[in-house]
Amino acid sequence: MRDTRNYDAIVVGAGVNGLVAAAYLAKAGLRVLVAEARNKLGGHCETAAIADGFNAPISAHTLYAFDPELLEELKLGKQGLVFAVRDMPLIVPDAGTAPIVLGRDMRAAARSIAPYSQADAKAYPEYRQQLFSLARRMRTIWWNDGKLDLRANDSRVLEKLRQWSVFAWLDSWFETNALKAALAFDAMAGSPLEPGSALALLWRASQEMCGLQGAAALPRGGPGALVQAIAAAAQNAGVEIRTGVPVTRIHIQGDIVCGVELARGDMISAPIVISSLPARRTILELADGANLDIAARRRFDRRFGETAAAKVLFAVNGLPPRLATLASGRIVVAEGMEGLVVAHGQARAGDLPDDLAMELIIPTFADPTLAPPGQHIVSVLVRPVPLAAAGWSELKGLLVERTVLAIERVAPGFAKYISAFKLVTPEDMEAVYGAGACAAVSADRMLLPWKARVGTGTKGLYLCGASVEPMDAVSGRAGRITASMILMNRKS
Amino acid sequence: MGLSRRADVSKCGQLSGIGGVNSSRYDACVIGAGAEGLAAAIVLAKAGLRTAVIERSAQPGGRCATREFHPGFRASPFADELAPIPSSLYWKLGLARHGAFFLPAPLSTAIWPDRVDILDVSATSGASRLGTQVCDFQRSILARAFREAESPAPGWRFWSRSQSPAPPWPGAAWLHRTLDDIFHDRMLSEDQAAHLAAAALAGRAVDPSLGGSALHLLAPGAGGSGLIVGGFASLANALISAAREAGVEVVLGVEVSDVRHRQGRLEGVGLSNGTEMAASVVISSLDFKRTLLSLFTWNGLPAAVIRRAGEYRTNGGMARVLLALERPPELPATLVSPEIFRGPIYVAPDNAAFGAAYASWRAGTIPEQPPAVLRLVSALDPRLALVGGATMTVTLGCIPARLFDGAWTRERREHLLARALAAAEKAVPGTRERVVGAEVIVPPDIEAELGSTDGDLLGGEIAADQMFGFRPWGDPALAISPRTPIDGLYLAGPSSSAGPFATCASGAIAAAAVIADRMAGRIR
Repeated sequence: MRDTRNYDAIVVGAGVNGLVAAAYLAKAGLRVLVAEARNKLGGHCETAAIADGFNAPISAHTLYAFDPELLEELKLGKQGLVFAVRDMPLIVPDAGTAPIVLGRDMRAAARSIAPYSQADAKAYPEYRQQLFSLARRMRTIWWNDGKLDLRANDSRVLEKLRQWSVFAWLDSWFETNALKAALAFDAMAGSPLEPGSALALLWRASQEMCGLQGAAALPRGGPGALVQAIAAAAQNAGVEIRTGVPVTRIHIQGDIVCGVELARGDMISAPIVISSLPARRTILELADGANLDIAARRRFDRRFGETAAAKVLFAVNGLPPRLATLASGRIVVAEGMEGLVVAHGQARAGDLPDDLAMELIIPTFADPTLAPPGQHIVSVLVRPVPLAAAGWSELKGLLVERTVLAIERVAPGFAKYISAFKLVTPEDMEAVYGAGACAAVSADRMLLPWKARVGTGTKGLYLCGASVEPMDAVSGRAGRITASMILMNRKS
Repeated sequence: MGLSRRADVSKCGQLSGIGGVNSSRYDACVIGAGAEGLAAAIVLAKAGLRTAVIERSAQPGGRCATREFHPGFRASPFADELAPIPSSLYWKLGLARHGAFFLPAPLSTAIWPDRVDILDVSATSGASRLGTQVCDFQRSILARAFREAESPAPGWRFWSRSQSPAPPWPGAAWLHRTLDDIFHDRMLSEDQAAHLAAAALAGRAVDPSLGGSALHLLAPGAGGSGLIVGGFASLANALISAAREAGVEVVLGVEVSDVRHRQGRLEGVGLSNGTEMAASVVISSLDFKRTLLSLFTWNGLPAAVIRRAGEYRTNGGMARVLLALERPPELPATLVSPEIFRGPIYVAPDNAAFGAAYASWRAGTIPEQPPAVLRLVSALDPRLALVGGATMTVTLGCIPARLFDGAWTRERREHLLARALAAAEKAVPGTRERVVGAEVIVPPDIEAELGSTDGDLLGGEIAADQMFGFRPWGDPALAISPRTPIDGLYLAGPSSSAGPFATCASGAIAAAAVIADRMAGRIR
């Protein structure tokens, strides 16, 4: 059966990037259809109930890379997007002593590091200054499709970051193991020994939330609220969004895309197809290789990701005193740098790491509407965990047990407050969102121009998912840049 | 000055060279009489500099040593093969005249319990094309290192800070790539890929699926292709006799205890026997870390330099087991020809096993199945064993320099010996019952004997940030090796920018830099 309506563009997947791309194209006057396989919009940005009255962020739990231009151009504020927290400090808890709190105030940060190491307290502001000033210059290629223009000294630092692993890079700055491990957590998509993984820290520092560089923010109502705002903006612009319609094939004739096929067998034709699914899935599964030769296919297939992240969400009827004092920040629990290396090795080999590395967020601290009064949600991002080809059923119990034990070490008494929990394994993420593995940090991918990541070699077929961003994150930037490239190509 | 006292070297050690010591003042002093140090000294002496080489042990040669480990059985304790010597350097040093000859590379074999993979480097195949590419890379890296030594590249020192960074080094394309990737690109079969990975990683602690591991193809250590007629001792002897002929003073049995410098200028070296030797140039063939951290008083150096030396990573991971066999081992005749005994035999290489071994190396434990290479060294050189007997070496990779639970005790060495014998037994059944004597050499032994930090014969971890121009200086504003931030101190050996790609080359490169800097008047 042939769908009679005509579309100028079809967006596969209603993730943040897909919706953003659709909104931009519709604003330019194109008729756009967004086809989403699930009954819910937003992909990884999802707020859902984990227990009665507890609405928790299921996958992504903070926003640290959302494109500020989008907020303005799509007028998301008008659609009801409000931020509950502009910036959450990074907190490194250490049993028995005062935690290290790395917030905006450099002096306070240095003061909190000082009991651990005077040298580190002195080095931290310097480290941050060097990283942040170079990061601002990197925005020309990371925020827009621009050219890099660096001074000689900056390009030396960039070259250094390209070669250095995050392990060696942090080692050269600091001596406190806990501090290094907490800073390295943000770069833990791959191995911390991977050369070029230090770039992940630079990328992270180049981001801006609510006007603050390198911040981690929380939207009121959880990440789901962001999706609602973008979807509203897209629909206002005239985008048609259909849910529950999985796309099973992308049709290509010669080297021109001609439309998509839905699971029901419907064929919808359009001269432009934009996929917000991972590049590998789009090209190799949906587009059947997209006429690429073996070498190019391998590029999509290779090193897609060897480890993953899992989420453990706890509904608690109170916070243990130690956790309550740390609740305003993102708390990173990690057993030192060497521990991260070992954890990554174990995860890659398919075992659950003995010492889990995790990031804890208590969203209800700033946004009490997410839980019944007086009660809280503790959202835990555990990374790395194995992809576990053999299935996660055996690891599930172990993961929750080790997560609770790790939190107990930081905040004794945590276990007895738990009233409910939900575990989201990489397997679940793969099944629900179609993307489970963490793509390893790759220096090549990070420094490639957007054009090379967005295009596919097939005319009219574009990628706009997180996998074409320099690093996987909820940023919406891929959607905006893909849309602007499509509009430019249409003009010429 | 403190340097007026004459170096009374004749009292404490064996002395060689023409004329003996007639003055304690030298133009250049080379630390270490290994292949690198001797090559540097020969080049300097030929250029007319008064040069002395100071060696801690009573025998010259460094890692090119051969010793008797069991009555009647001899073997080289540290390596069975050397990285090749660039041919121009080979002739320049006059090694042929002094009796050092290289043998062509033998077959390389990988044996699994049920199958065998034999690699002949002279044949055309995906593997040998890769080998050609590696050779091209090595050649152009060395050529560039020589070029930059002779005329410092833009980027050296503050006067050129504003200039753009130097072009990438040949081979830089591999900085981020994994070995797996490289083999996959060349459509090698799984067995062949595992075989080549084993050859590239022999005696090292590396995970072939970690980014940057492809660089190991460039840096042959235990698995190079330099075999010498008559064993390593003949190379050491040839170098020594070439050095004597050139007029180099070789002082054995004396250790350099410190390098004296004042206001950033070198004045000379202090020796372990209490004497001093004045020299305005010192070439150290020790690794970067040891050179800076053990030969200098730390407060005399800029903090950035000490810091860089502290964070320079070495990762020794090689253990060697020398076995004296009462009779040569035999393979089932149906399987393969005995010809394979002339080359290395890799025991059941497998990428997953490499990964697991690397993980336990990181954790500081002895791996269950360390990657192992067997070599029947007496098949190439029958003089290494008693008549009728045989000498075999087992090179194990991923053996931690420091175990997490303490020192390398006797029991742990025996444990390692058992693992090595198990590996040998797996590839060549019947080895265990023929063993009449054995010696186990673990990374701390290598450190104690050769002075290489962590027993790392490659002079530092092979990683993107420690290669090429980065080796060992991450910041061109500090220096580009072989030059160092201390005027007059030069670095040779595998941790200089020439890397472990070739034997003798880094010494010659350091010497070339010394000569160029003297001509330009940068040093006295």
